[in-house]
Amino acid sequence: MTLRISSPVTGSVVALSAVPDPVFAQAMVGPGLAVQPAAVAADVLSPIDGTVVTLHPHAFVVAAESGQAVLVHLGIDTVKMKGESFTLHVVKGETVRAGQRIIGWDPGSVEAIGYSSVCPVIALDAQSSELADVRPDGDVKAGQTLFVWHP
Amino acid sequence: MADERAAKILAAIGGADNVIELEPCITRLRCELEDESLVDEPALRALGVHGVVRMGGAVQIVVGPEADTIASDIEDLL
Repeated sequence: MTLRISSPVTGSVVALSAVPDPVFAQAMVGPGLAVQPAAVAADVLSPIDGTVVTLHPHAFVVAAESGQAVLVHLGIDTVKMKGESFTLHVVKGETVRAGQRIIGWDPGSVEAIGYSSVCPVIALDAQSSELADVRPDGDVKAGQTLFVWHP
Repeated sequence: MADERAAKILAAIGGADNVIELEPCITRLRCELEDESLVDEPALRALGVHGVVRMGGAVQIVVGPEADTIASDIEDLL
């Protein structure tokens, strides 16, 4: 199923290879893009229609009916924040629409305590050749298309 | 099946005695180990692990989106 993956946050698009984490930078769990969010408190939006199959304060996975799953990770090493300064708006197992708010956070406060707030958006277990219309570096608004996934 | 995979991953990182702390993070297991040299990377790769990253005193085993489930299966074995 062709999936349009929309940006979960407003900010600027950066290549996954620029993310300061080797697992994401080397696309070990799948290809995708990253977005450096604007440093203002905001809600993070679902990138696709689907089911929230994994939910942590700092990251979540939404799976489409086809089984294609998209990971959104809020910042790098933010698991160490133990959920502080993240607000969950959904529960695991909930059905969501693209653009629906999932988590509230403040990227500025993540940066303030020394973590990168960059958000990798990953097509889990996809091949890089399956991604098309990949958005070039530059500004993006939450809800605008990051890339299209043709499995 | 999942339990078996967890047991094999645990064996490939040196067994329960070698694990100080193990924490899942979406796609990876962050393992703090007594002796990192006991990590058997070829064995982990044979189990379908996407990668093994050593950084900051921890070994990160990239298992994919089932990390939470695998971690809780491993914790049952510790």
